[in-house]
Amino acid sequence: MSLVTTLLDFLPEILLLAGALLVFLVDALGLRRIEVVGSIAVVTILLALLFVFADLGFAPVAFLAAIPPGQIDVFPPAGSTPLYWFTSLGLFFQTFFLLAAFLVALASMSRPSRERGAAVFYGLILLATLGMMLVAVASDLIFLLIAIEVVSIPSYLLVAYTRRDTRSMEAAMKFFIVGALSTVLSFFGASFLYGAYGTTNLFVLASGSAIANGAAGGGGFPLLVVIGYSLLIAGLAFKITLVPFHAWAVDVYDGAPDDVSAFLAGGTKKIGLFAFFLVFLGPVLFAKVAFQWFGGIGPVSFGPVLQVLLSILAVVTMSVGNVLALMQKSMKRMLAYSSISQAGYMLIGVAIGTAPALTGASLQVFAHVFMKSGAFLVVAAAAGLGVGPLIADWRGLGQKRPWLSAAFALMLLSLAGMPLTVGFVSKFVLFSAAIEAQGYFVWLAVAGLLNSALSVFYYGRVLKVIYFDSPAAAPAVPAPEGASPAASGAAAGPDHTPTAPLALGGLGYARAATIAIVAIVIVVLGIYPGPLLQPLAAAAQHFIRLGL
Amino acid sequence: MSVPWISITLASLVVGTVATFLAGRSARWVALATSIVFLIEIGLMFWGYSWPGLLNGIPQFAYSETHAWISIGWLNINYTVGVDGISLVLILLTGILQIATVLYSWKEEKRPNAWFGLVLLTCLGCFGVFVALDILFFFLFWEAVLVPMFFIIGYWGGPNRRYAAIKFFVYTHVASVVMLVGLLALAFYSHAASLDFSSVYAAEPALAGVVPAFLFVALFFGFGVKFPIVPFHTWLPDAHVEAPTGGSVLLAGLLLKLGGYGLIRWGIEVIPNGFHTDQPILFVIAFVSIVWGSVLSLSQRDLKRMVAYSSINHMGIVLLAIALNSELGLVAALFLMFAHGIVSALLFMTAGSTHDIFRTRDIPSIGGAASVTPRLATAMMIGSLASLGLPALISFPAEFTALLATWQALAYWVLIPLIVLVVTAGFYIWMMQRLLFGPTKGIPNSVHDIASLEVVAMGILIAVTVLFGVLPNLLVHWIVMSPVGVWPL
Repeated sequence: MSLVTTLLDFLPEILLLAGALLVFLVDALGLRRIEVVGSIAVVTILLALLFVFADLGFAPVAFLAAIPPGQIDVFPPAGSTPLYWFTSLGLFFQTFFLLAAFLVALASMSRPSRERGAAVFYGLILLATLGMMLVAVASDLIFLLIAIEVVSIPSYLLVAYTRRDTRSMEAAMKFFIVGALSTVLSFFGASFLYGAYGTTNLFVLASGSAIANGAAGGGGFPLLVVIGYSLLIAGLAFKITLVPFHAWAVDVYDGAPDDVSAFLAGGTKKIGLFAFFLVFLGPVLFAKVAFQWFGGIGPVSFGPVLQVLLSILAVVTMSVGNVLALMQKSMKRMLAYSSISQAGYMLIGVAIGTAPALTGASLQVFAHVFMKSGAFLVVAAAAGLGVGPLIADWRGLGQKRPWLSAAFALMLLSLAGMPLTVGFVSKFVLFSAAIEAQGYFVWLAVAGLLNSALSVFYYGRVLKVIYFDSPAAAPAVPAPEGASPAASGAAAGPDHTPTAPLALGGLGYARAATIAIVAIVIVVLGIYPGPLLQPLAAAAQHFIRLGL
Repeated sequence: MSVPWISITLASLVVGTVATFLAGRSARWVALATSIVFLIEIGLMFWGYSWPGLLNGIPQFAYSETHAWISIGWLNINYTVGVDGISLVLILLTGILQIATVLYSWKEEKRPNAWFGLVLLTCLGCFGVFVALDILFFFLFWEAVLVPMFFIIGYWGGPNRRYAAIKFFVYTHVASVVMLVGLLALAFYSHAASLDFSSVYAAEPALAGVVPAFLFVALFFGFGVKFPIVPFHTWLPDAHVEAPTGGSVLLAGLLLKLGGYGLIRWGIEVIPNGFHTDQPILFVIAFVSIVWGSVLSLSQRDLKRMVAYSSINHMGIVLLAIALNSELGLVAALFLMFAHGIVSALLFMTAGSTHDIFRTRDIPSIGGAASVTPRLATAMMIGSLASLGLPALISFPAEFTALLATWQALAYWVLIPLIVLVVTAGFYIWMMQRLLFGPTKGIPNSVHDIASLEVVAMGILIAVTVLFGVLPNLLVHWIVMSPVGVWPL
């Protein structure tokens, strides 16, 4: 592989890097207006999206494909240990990540034109997206973990980019400390695996032969393997906010500027899930080799043990997330807990480890990108309209802002899994896959369905507040600690001075367009999911076949 | 190429429902127009109906349509709809109750567009359940009934409506989840080609061992809570008492029928092996429901609560008739579901009107109502007499057939429902004696009899009660034009 073809493979990533540098350059030249840097970022993301679509082989743009079709979804040559490898599922995840970045970048263009830090915001979004793209093509544990760092470091900065809001600073500090811990755990785990197998290549780690070499042939390594994977679970669980590694997420999503929360919850969080796919699907699928547990207990099969562990994590995560979401008074905290519970649903896909389950989990990721980013973007819009941070502050919005409320209602209904939305399709596919896998996985479907029913209550409560409570009649609810109206005003951005009112009743064209796009995608793919679901199912099948 | 009547009807109901929600003050007229169109479409469906019979041992459906929705190898979902005699009679019931409810609640002033929209949405969901022949769409419509009813109880209901609505939602939703898991497990464990009724039907014999029995229990639980069967019946009286009258009419008239329909269509037809294993459980629960519903009914003072408990009793007889697994039993079960739908709707309307007029539903505190409200008293008498099984009214042929089928299958066990029938007759007559006749008491100063539109609504139900009571074959004719006519399959 020559340097040129290698660079061509990474055309979308290079575009993102160039876009980020251009944004910083333009900023240095003094063109700080958000319209300028925002447009650069949006165009860059759209171009990258175009090339990823081309690589995926979508007919109208297929001629732009940089990666030869014969290099996607094939096994690496025997004996080679590639750092990155292209799978169609990975490319699908790249499109999901780019879509999340696109939504946030587009909507943020409606922020005040002279806002400080716009270039920093857009540059960091592009850099974080670059890291996310790399996660989706990793085939080596170290490459994967470094790619995750490439996402994490811009994310910490994004939370604090406004620089003056103490709540955001606190959130960024928490995010950074927890993120650093998670990185340490992950790399420590990787070092154990390297010690056991002598490689960090995911193809080798995933294949049954590696476990056989380590466990059966070498004899003394299983403990290293178990410790390594346990540390990796903990490290990566921080990233996708699995319970009990979830506590940071609520504070960070709550404290970060609304648009950044949309990017974190809708976008960067999903890299953890793809990392789970890469790291754990292989052992789940192939490491059925029984090994002697320390002290002669056994033989224990590693794969099924891992499956049980992941299943328990999934159920606990979705249940705890839902129950805590039920008790929240603040809108952003409610959305944050709902995001945690959604991570539980997605983890079902890894725990089961079949192509159908992977399809369901991937579709759930796609749906979540739109539902959750969209919901946070609406929260940002509402904050711009003077709506407070509490759910009770939204009362009567249905009459004042019928279209914004309708779009928000649609997103919440989709999160709750109501029919005719993409959230329903993804949950239906996921739970069907759990039942299709048979055995005790049927209980995962039962747990997921009951949790969905539970979630209806807290989403329904928001809808009730928006549509049924009249603004005057509702009693004033005392604000909980740290969520006073003053703090919310600050959360909307320190330089948010309402100069000229924005178009479309204070929303701005860009944000209104973004919200409309999200609503349309939720409905169209809810009614007619075939065009996305069919290639996604094929991609999941290829991914399982590769055994990554 | 036959006319796709079912999709046309569904579309007209969807359009009518949406238009009603958007119509504002004139919502009631849109709702009425939708109901009339719905009835015409039902008439056309009956007019052109003939049962296609069995094809390779799989029951076929009239007006059936199939369009692929999701097909990704392991998961194939089609929009498949169709009707046979079993669903047709229940669709007719839906049409009758829809127009009767719209007319009865014509004067609803609290958010009329939402009220009529939710009433139509409930009926739309029921229609969908009766025509859907795919697990996903069946479940969708099944849940689509739940949501509007939750709001009907929770927004228009009585003082304790919040508790009742949430209890209703939790009970029926948990049951729905178990049902859905059961249905999906049925499809995936048997490796059915798609989630269609016919694919699942064809694949079911592949299930081995205790699997069919377990699946049938899951489905029976899901459908049974809607019935309601006895250990899981406690949501029903609360929901009924708190629901507004229109809500009670739809709840008793239609929602309870979903359980019976589901048990026949997806339980007994699809998993006969599991059904045969679990038959004793069904018998026990049926007998317990019959006796317990009747005893509870006897001890009620609240008129609505009494009718609600008598529903448990009647639906117990339906369950018994279904469990008999004979052609006669299934005919009786379907006829009885239809009859109970009409009669309980009528009784709930009279109970609602009683409350409107006398400001209470407490039976002992009202007396001699017949002398001041003759029209209400007439309707209540006809409803009660029909409910206790007076000949020439609709329940008589249904209950008689059910008892006959029970005698054929179980011999002297028939004494249990027979004796309970006497108790049922007893509490209805006692109620009438106290409430309608005897010395007047508890009559407010300004008493008005029921309004003319309420008379029209009840009149429709009374006409149906008498028509099918005198000419039961008008209904049975359609019921047997289905797999029931060639039972056991």
